[in-house]
Amino acid sequence: MSPFDGPTNDDGVWKSGRGKGRRTPKGRQLDDEALAEVLVLLGDRPRRRDLLIEFLHLIQDSYGCLSAAHLRALAEEMRLAQAEVYEVATFYAHFDVVKEGEEAPPAITIRVCDSLSCELAGAQDLLETLGETYGGGGEVRVLRAPCMGRCATAPTLEIGHNHIDCATPEKVAEAIDAADFHAHVPEYERLAAYRAAGGYLELEALRGGARTPDQVQDALLESGLRGLGGAGFPSGRKWSFVRAEPGPRYLAVNGDEGEPGTFKDRHYLEREPHVFLEGMLIAAWAVEAETCFIYMRDEYPAVLEILAEEIKALEDAGIVAPGYIDLRRGAGAYICGEESAMIESIEGKRGLPRHRPPFVAKVGIFGRPTLVHNVETLYWVSKIARHGPELLNGHEKNGRKGLRSYSISGRVRDPGVKLLPAGSTIRDLIEACGGMAPGHEFKAYQPGGPSSGILPANMDDIPLDFDTLQPHGSFIGSAAVVVLSDQDRARDAALNMLRFFEDESCGQCTPCRVGCEKAVKLMQAERWNQEILQDLCETMVDASICGLGQAAPNPILLTMKHFPDEV
Amino acid sequence: MTEAITFTLDGREVAAAPGESIWQVAKREGTLIPHLCHKDATGYRSDGNCRACMVEIEGERVLAASCLREPQDGMVVNTQNERATKARKVVMELLVADQPERDVAHDSSSHLWAMADAQGVSESRFPKLEKERVPILDDSHVAMRVNLDACIHCNLCVRACREVQVNDVIGMAGRGHDAEIVFDMKDPMGQSTCVACGECVQACPTGALMPATALDDAQKGDSHAYDREVQSVCPYCGVGCQLSFKVREEDGVDKIAWVDGIEGPANESRLCVKGRFGFDYVAHPHRLTKPLIRRDDAPSKGLNVNPEHWRSHFREASWEEALEVAAAGLARLRDDRGTRVAGFGSAKCSNEEAYLFQKLIRQGFGHNNVDHCTRLCHASSVAALLENVGSGAVTATFNEIENADVAIMIGCNPTENHPVAATYFKQFAKRGGKLIVMDPRGQGLKRYASHMLQFRPGADVAMLNAIMHVIVEDGLYDRQYIEAMTEGFDEMREHLKGFSPEKMSELCGIDAAMLRDVAHTFARAEAGMIFWGMGISQHIHGTDNSRCLISLALMCGHVGRPGTGLHPLRGQNNVQGASDAGLIPMFLPDYQSVADDGVRSAFSEIWDSGDWSNQKGLTVVEIMHAIHDGDIQGMYILGENPAMSDPDVEHARAALAKLDHLVVQDIFLTETANYADVIFPASAWAEKTGTVTNTNRQVQMGRPAVAPPGEAKEDWWIVTQLARKLGLDWTYEHPSEVFAEMKRSMESLDNITWERLEAQNAVTYPSLSPEDPGQAIVFGDSFPRAEGRAKFTPASIVPPAESPDDEYPMIMTTGRQLEHWHTGSMTRRATVLDWAEPEANASLHPRTLRRLGVKPGEMIRIATRRGAIDIMARADRAVAEDMVFVPFAYVEAAANVLTNPQLDPYGKIPEFKYSACRVEKVPGQMMAAE
Repeated sequence: MSPFDGPTNDDGVWKSGRGKGRRTPKGRQLDDEALAEVLVLLGDRPRRRDLLIEFLHLIQDSYGCLSAAHLRALAEEMRLAQAEVYEVATFYAHFDVVKEGEEAPPAITIRVCDSLSCELAGAQDLLETLGETYGGGGEVRVLRAPCMGRCATAPTLEIGHNHIDCATPEKVAEAIDAADFHAHVPEYERLAAYRAAGGYLELEALRGGARTPDQVQDALLESGLRGLGGAGFPSGRKWSFVRAEPGPRYLAVNGDEGEPGTFKDRHYLEREPHVFLEGMLIAAWAVEAETCFIYMRDEYPAVLEILAEEIKALEDAGIVAPGYIDLRRGAGAYICGEESAMIESIEGKRGLPRHRPPFVAKVGIFGRPTLVHNVETLYWVSKIARHGPELLNGHEKNGRKGLRSYSISGRVRDPGVKLLPAGSTIRDLIEACGGMAPGHEFKAYQPGGPSSGILPANMDDIPLDFDTLQPHGSFIGSAAVVVLSDQDRARDAALNMLRFFEDESCGQCTPCRVGCEKAVKLMQAERWNQEILQDLCETMVDASICGLGQAAPNPILLTMKHFPDEV
Repeated sequence: MTEAITFTLDGREVAAAPGESIWQVAKREGTLIPHLCHKDATGYRSDGNCRACMVEIEGERVLAASCLREPQDGMVVNTQNERATKARKVVMELLVADQPERDVAHDSSSHLWAMADAQGVSESRFPKLEKERVPILDDSHVAMRVNLDACIHCNLCVRACREVQVNDVIGMAGRGHDAEIVFDMKDPMGQSTCVACGECVQACPTGALMPATALDDAQKGDSHAYDREVQSVCPYCGVGCQLSFKVREEDGVDKIAWVDGIEGPANESRLCVKGRFGFDYVAHPHRLTKPLIRRDDAPSKGLNVNPEHWRSHFREASWEEALEVAAAGLARLRDDRGTRVAGFGSAKCSNEEAYLFQKLIRQGFGHNNVDHCTRLCHASSVAALLENVGSGAVTATFNEIENADVAIMIGCNPTENHPVAATYFKQFAKRGGKLIVMDPRGQGLKRYASHMLQFRPGADVAMLNAIMHVIVEDGLYDRQYIEAMTEGFDEMREHLKGFSPEKMSELCGIDAAMLRDVAHTFARAEAGMIFWGMGISQHIHGTDNSRCLISLALMCGHVGRPGTGLHPLRGQNNVQGASDAGLIPMFLPDYQSVADDGVRSAFSEIWDSGDWSNQKGLTVVEIMHAIHDGDIQGMYILGENPAMSDPDVEHARAALAKLDHLVVQDIFLTETANYADVIFPASAWAEKTGTVTNTNRQVQMGRPAVAPPGEAKEDWWIVTQLARKLGLDWTYEHPSEVFAEMKRSMESLDNITWERLEAQNAVTYPSLSPEDPGQAIVFGDSFPRAEGRAKFTPASIVPPAESPDDEYPMIMTTGRQLEHWHTGSMTRRATVLDWAEPEANASLHPRTLRRLGVKPGEMIRIATRRGAIDIMARADRAVAEDMVFVPFAYVEAAANVLTNPQLDPYGKIPEFKYSACRVEKVPGQMMAAE
């Protein structure tokens, strides 16, 4: 550029940038029409930051995508920066951000689960076939997706919000022809039926002062109930930690059952939602929670419908004040099952796990003490409050007390949720599933989701309970058991697991973000470079911020240990 | 104070202060733990994401990020054992795997590579990312290069943009390995809302974000590739950011390669686009390099000189000849009648230069016709402050907002005009402080405001009186403070009775309920501050506006304590210092009255000269009138540009053309220099030595980074030479000698010495001892007025000098834009700033444009009773629908052709902020393609 680009005549107007200037202030401008549309969708909802993800859902549900114009308008209305809205919108898999000049996604989205059980059941072939059928850029798009919690009916997929179990291309075509895109809500126990059977009497009694929170807390401790999301922290002690902190306090239910292979929470919620809800309200009573947040994964649309309806019923029945239970919808991010990531998500942000200390019992939602429970844990809270601690501690097997809801899938004859003594071994579980699937011989198993790695068939005498698997470099976690057979390779399963972690890593810390990506590359080699993988695994375990990165190496380490001939 | 924590660090027992991290303790103890996402600088929160600083804490299952973790009593921490060392090395190896090769690195001296070197990591065993997943260059911004192939996701740039500068442009989008740094919604940086503060560039540890000038065409660069560093102060606004010039020799000439912010008291290493990227004007070919004398055969005086081709109007001369001619012309007028000469000094030069300039006029010409641009900016604020508080400076630094819980921002637009101060204001709001913004425009702070009052322009007094009415009626005032520290409250209370919010609401356009809420919020605050700018001062009722603000603070007791105070945000880098130095017609240095015989005699003694006029001199606009009236025939103008900056500028230009003898001293052939008889080539700020005083009363040391071009000289030298030619016995050879002389008459400089400033860069006045860094807050005990009391001065409603009517139905207001400094002589010659705002533009609401049938980008004609300009229309929703905003930096569409020269009776400041105008589409234009 010439230093002098003004007029060359001799007058003193030495500079003119005619035609070069911006016609607006910097950056993307607000579009009046988009703003009007966003205002209609938001209605009179408070413009709170923590509702951002809910608002993004409103737009995505109405328009099938999030256009830049809508996001810009939403940012304006919520007084947020564009980047703050954009980074949240692009963090979650279920939002489709469409910028100016880009095409909106097709109206129909098919998400095919490719997690381990579905992969064993042929998800890759299904993906390929559907991709060929619908990949031509028409009305339908086909995406891969992580576990949808329907592993007992693998392979599974979702068209819109309609889940197709034991999916085939034919079933997909039928659903599309019938325009059947909505969640199918199963029959379940409604409020009236639950109350008729004595439901909520315990809650009312407690609220009326029948027992103190300490007494209920003691009952929980006595029962041996531990956090069934996977961490296994004694539930009663959690209460005491939260109660020790000054209010206001919150309760958050972790309904982000994303650990592949896990479907027990969905199992209970689609059958007896009020057992869980009463348990939640008992816990909320005990810690005097200001609000109960239920964070429910978006992969469970039927559950979301059930809960919305039953919460309304509770409000109508005067059991809870309107708004006391705040149902929040996830948006497709496994990491939000990590409790602090979930709290971030409840606050309307990206699901990045927080550093500990401080723990969420001290500093949780909006910086306040927060009691976080898994769905099934609260299911048992309800039962124990009503029936006493013996309900759990009355069961004993292999020196272990209590019951476990095992989600069992893979190469077994009759997969599903099996409520068994907590001391059960993998052999007991296979037996509970009617044995191995025909033609399959037991070879290996994932005891508690991919985070727990893979154990060989000869380690079949370990009680599958908290604490028993740690000496073997594994853990029970959410008790998501996937059984592998002689037709499966452990290294393939391990690669499937690491691919999952690579996709689901939030990206916050180096060991997990880069580590998962490098691990997948290293694991694709014919022969694994075990020295590098060993170094990598150690660093991921030692240096990752949260459990995802710390546990992601388990499949690698256990495969190298127990299946050396495969790698 | 909590007790120190004792823990074991690498086998030794050490102590940590509460809040200190393990990393900080280790550093203090001599162990530098590798770190990437942790920036060891003020204002940066540790984030603990990179995991490069992991250490072992005995008894814990996994390692801990030392930058984040605070030690506890009895903790045993190992930073150097194998486990921790190995984890840190593998983390580094993971990151190095995907770095561009070092010999083609964007920054071969990056912090990342330094940390890798420190751990002996030079390459990685890990496979590289797939080529198609490697981000590509974004060179859409002229100032910065974005090469995200080097990005390590440390999010320092996000924190820089969002938490430090609070510009909220950068985000981390996506997830996992595909997460990426984005601008707005993954827009090219140059098309985003980026304001180019460059904080991200300064924070980036990898070279992924670099100043464009530090990279070659192949995107190769080296942040250590400079020859020397010079610490100085930014020459633009009154914030007074300290900076470091990185100087590199190119083709035998020293050049400013790039600029970094450093740890000044006002800026804590932050800069804005001007301070960081606005320096290449000093090397612009238009720079004046030799003294010029108007040719005998020059065309008649007018705005008719092209700064590049001036030879038809001027000829080069030696310094000797130019000084001789300049002095002779001024001396001739002096000898005829002293008051025929007037001088405009500059708020852009040093304290020493301001002092010398006023001394030259007073000592050399025997009168007080010396003024500078404070007359166009805060003169009314100063008048009100002197009247009611007893001092014209701020009562608290703007950084004191850290301790406030409520702050009022009225008639100021800090995000554009005081961008670095604005970062503190935005941080305040983000922390939960209540930010009450009052401005007819929905300006940049609106998004952060707890209360946004977009009031009717000119209705300041009505609105502020209504707020005070509520405070009085609802008994929210601080009775104790008022009794102990003030006078005149009873009259004030009586006066306010007539200003109920309900009555004032219609006048100011703000709901009565909102006025009440603001009154309660401010009065009930523990600590409240008030900031204001030209929106308050540039009215014919500017002094009344300021009086209201002073009264508001006083009645709530919001002065003199941490987090309280009155702060008129000063405009020019040295407008505070120039005013302090006496560059004003009614005051000698330190606001000592020229009418006071004792004061003058004290100065006569210091100056070793005779007495001079005891009459207040003429002010800027009055001088222009006096030229038209034939009373003034000669002027010496140093670094001011009245041919652009005066109201009704055609009138001012005509005045300049009428002068018999005009001496102009500047770095460019400015619009004012068009009318000169002699032009002295001066040095730019980056070429000179001297002190400046910012809006916070911080006196700071400026140092030369490069040499002035050609024969250009430092201003103090030129003034001294001219004085000698005028017969004064001046012998200054260095600014330090001038500073020493200033100290003799200026108590404000007590305990502040040249040597101290050399050593410490900045001292705030008043400084109570040679060790005291200076008082951030003043007037806690008493005010420098009679009996130590501040005063309430009631203000009544004065309407603007002209009102919209059928012929001129809209309201025009003027101001600045982020990238352009005042009359544009510097910034329109700075590559980056000119790139960002190349064209004269006027902002109107999109609906207004639609009503006028104008598309954004088309030319409109704005006319007032003074004149008309053609200018490009910009659609901006921030502007009220009956208003037009016109920045005054553009010679091709000079806003001041339109402005109203009516003056505030006390401050003598013109009403730049309010003119009735008419806007219409310029007919017959073709729209350029989008």
